[in-house]
Amino acid sequence: MRKALAAVLLAGLLLIGFKAVGPIPPLGPLLDPANGVWAQAAATTFPTLQQVSMPGLSKKVQVVFDDRGVPHVFADNEQDAYRALGYIEARDRLFQMEAQTRATAGRLTEWAGPKLLDSDRSNRELGLVWAAEKKFASYDKNSIGYRAIEAYAGGVNSYISQMRPRDMPVEYRLLNAVPMQWKPVYSLYFLSRMSLNLGFNDATVRRLKAQSMVGKAAADALFPVNSPIQQPIQPLSTSEPRFDFAVVPAPASPDSSVLAEARAREALSTTLAFRKPTETADAIGSNNWAVSPKRAAAGHALLAGDPHLDLSLPSVWYEMHIVVSGKLDVAGVGFPGVPGVVIGFNRDVAWTFTNTGSDVNDYYEETVDKDVNPSMYKLDGQWKPLEQRIEEYKDAKGVVIATDTIRFTHRGPMRRQLGHWLSMRWTVYDKSHEPDNFLNLGFAKNSTEWLADMADYVVPTQNGLVADRSGNIAIRSSGKYPIRPGDGRGDVIRDGSTTASDWIGQLSVDKYPFSMNPAQGFLASANQQPVDPKVNPAYLGSDWYSPWRAMHINALLRADSAVTPDDMRKFQTDPGSSRAEVFVPFFLHAAASIDSAGKSDGELRTAADLLRNWDRRYVRDNRRAILFEAAMTELATRTWDELRDKKKTPSASDRQNYPEAQIMVELMREPTSEWWDDHSTVQRENRDDILSASLRAAYVKLLREVGDPAGDKWLWSNTRRANIYHLLRIPAFSALEVPVQGGPSTLSPSSGSGTQGPSWRMVVELGPEVRAWAIYPGGQSGAPSSARYTDRLSKWTNGILDPVLFPHNAAELERTRVKSTLTLVPR
Amino acid sequence: MINMRPVVKFLLLAELFAVTTFGLGWWSVPLVAAVWGLVSRSKRKAMFAALAALGGWTTLFLLDVARGPVATMGSQLGGVMNLPAFGLYAFTLIFPALLAWCAATLVPSVRSSGA
Repeated sequence: MRKALAAVLLAGLLLIGFKAVGPIPPLGPLLDPANGVWAQAAATTFPTLQQVSMPGLSKKVQVVFDDRGVPHVFADNEQDAYRALGYIEARDRLFQMEAQTRATAGRLTEWAGPKLLDSDRSNRELGLVWAAEKKFASYDKNSIGYRAIEAYAGGVNSYISQMRPRDMPVEYRLLNAVPMQWKPVYSLYFLSRMSLNLGFNDATVRRLKAQSMVGKAAADALFPVNSPIQQPIQPLSTSEPRFDFAVVPAPASPDSSVLAEARAREALSTTLAFRKPTETADAIGSNNWAVSPKRAAAGHALLAGDPHLDLSLPSVWYEMHIVVSGKLDVAGVGFPGVPGVVIGFNRDVAWTFTNTGSDVNDYYEETVDKDVNPSMYKLDGQWKPLEQRIEEYKDAKGVVIATDTIRFTHRGPMRRQLGHWLSMRWTVYDKSHEPDNFLNLGFAKNSTEWLADMADYVVPTQNGLVADRSGNIAIRSSGKYPIRPGDGRGDVIRDGSTTASDWIGQLSVDKYPFSMNPAQGFLASANQQPVDPKVNPAYLGSDWYSPWRAMHINALLRADSAVTPDDMRKFQTDPGSSRAEVFVPFFLHAAASIDSAGKSDGELRTAADLLRNWDRRYVRDNRRAILFEAAMTELATRTWDELRDKKKTPSASDRQNYPEAQIMVELMREPTSEWWDDHSTVQRENRDDILSASLRAAYVKLLREVGDPAGDKWLWSNTRRANIYHLLRIPAFSALEVPVQGGPSTLSPSSGSGTQGPSWRMVVELGPEVRAWAIYPGGQSGAPSSARYTDRLSKWTNGILDPVLFPHNAAELERTRVKSTLTLVPR
Repeated sequence: MINMRPVVKFLLLAELFAVTTFGLGWWSVPLVAAVWGLVSRSKRKAMFAALAALGGWTTLFLLDVARGPVATMGSQLGGVMNLPAFGLYAFTLIFPALLAWCAATLVPSVRSSGA
């Protein structure tokens, strides 16, 4: 009996030791205290002094890690510096680098099996890998970018080959996987992925859907090419916004002819869209601004960078300082997987970016030889062969689980949507060399040199802001802007059977939105329309974000003529909102008007009193912002009811189909417009009826759902929180429900799901010695158990920045602030 | 006078479990225990092997605790597996003990039945 028990037990133990059982990985290697997760936890603490020999190095490289976990890399040449960077980024972020690469390449099934097949298919159909491989093949082998990504890959692979079992990141153990070798082209994969996140603009979907419901004239007014409120990046002659309101045509008969097109585009964009289904534009966005010496307290140029991206643990950024003797001295953040600093500063210049959001992708309806498995497409009356790429999807064991053929026209990848073969043209597919652009920024001696380096930058289009020690500030929306034939707009599906539909060129750099040292003494961008169309009518995109954040930054900067770095820091989390400043008076006026007409009641009066007492600031302990936001939701639901499927109950995702809030402001000028009528009631409402009804309904709803307005459930901190998920969305490795300051359209907007936000905050003062302060949510280490995994989170939450160490050499670093030193020597 | 021999034996065997785990991996535990089962004449050799394996892995585990954030890893991994961290620690230490006990129990009987 005892032996039988031992036999069964041993078999069971060996089984769970060697084999994964359901989601539980093999427990033997996982729990092994010498080589498993416990040892890995110990291995996240690096030795104080360590020397590693590395193939490919030409000279010794010293890497000093400061007490913020930032590596200061001291090398004799750039290749050695980037090889070292590859090694240390792999040591800190290996799993993240591979996860990003697999997501872009559509190779997640090799980790997780068929459940991710649809996601992999979508990614491969985008042609990001196809484009990255083309770019890599044509890359100038002597360019700084090519040499850097080659050296970087060598460093990553050096680390992988030297890894001990205990160094294996916990995620690999949970997935029962091992790291793959790093190829240089993977750096380009990542940049392609960023282009998808930032350079894919499909505003047309919402306009076409609206057109199918309310006709073309109304749809064009609701989703216009140009913003009715102009506060552009290229400053106006006055720094005040320009209001360019027009009459919004009344809703007309549905135009069913475009419904199929809308659905086709929606089907395409569903898997690609930057915005998540419940996110609205007022919940996302990046900011940057710079101040001239004449408006800075210390008389030095100041620059603030605040790019907002999907928040994740580990962070999308990795902070570094790279010194190449006598050549390069640059600090800031870059993307793990891509060598070098993307946003940062050197001894003379500081720079940062926000997304321009221009329209750089178009669709073409192609004529093909066969509806199923086509091999040719028609162009100018002739059949042309389709480039075909066979895509195999494998599971964790390497077994092929699916095979697809991706077809390409000369424009880009083609796929079938609702009975149409649509090909996509996108600047991501064009030849470019973004690594060169980013790496060369570190060498710039002044703003002019910096701008010159960005002149041939392609994608994603970025509002690049730069300031230098000579006191110059400049901004330019850089990137490739295609010129289309005909009316030049990119928000239609064009006929693919003729080259006459193709792009006919690109804007020259001198036509890019641009400003340098403006009279107002500051520059700012926040994803708004970059240039007033009265100044430059070139089509850059449509359906721009409402410029609330831009208006607020401009207002803050106008009001402060002696700006300090600490002011810049405080602005980044300023809880004020131009959107609230604009809309609250409308609500209060409507409530008063209804009251004076004798149609009010106690609930509306109480709601108006509560809103009147709000200081229009989204701080965590505020109890009134929740009422305003609920009223804004009610207002949109009631006003834009024509844009909703009447058969469905209103939901949060409907907001995706509603116009920008700036269109609502435009509509406010027409108090009796047909748009104000709520079709669910028998009477005909006007503007004030809807505003007051929305406010009242919001109050009643909150009273019912969250109780007494004096209670803690009305606190803003209970409403908006950041949710920073681990890349595998494992809650135990994530930072969830983090209360943050800010609300929709504040400079630090918090989104509905809390998964977007400030990914890196930086302030730089360009004085005789450059000084910088910065933070990002998370920490330098990608190991969830490491003390450096979330060590910056608390400061980020509270809007605090760390002073950035920027020593000229290793000896200049205070010994008390040095945590470890890694010396890499040639093998 | 205390007989130190069993104590020394225990320490050596525990050390052997730790060293082979470090050098070869977790699967060396049943192998070492099986060899122990073959060479030992003690009536309680299976229990002895189990306790030595427990001791060896406890030593390694405590070294990890001393060097890094094992508690953080425990709570995170427990979160992933829906287990309390304590359960994982306990399983980590019981796992080699059970492996060793089973192997040390089975191997001598296999040999004797073969003979």
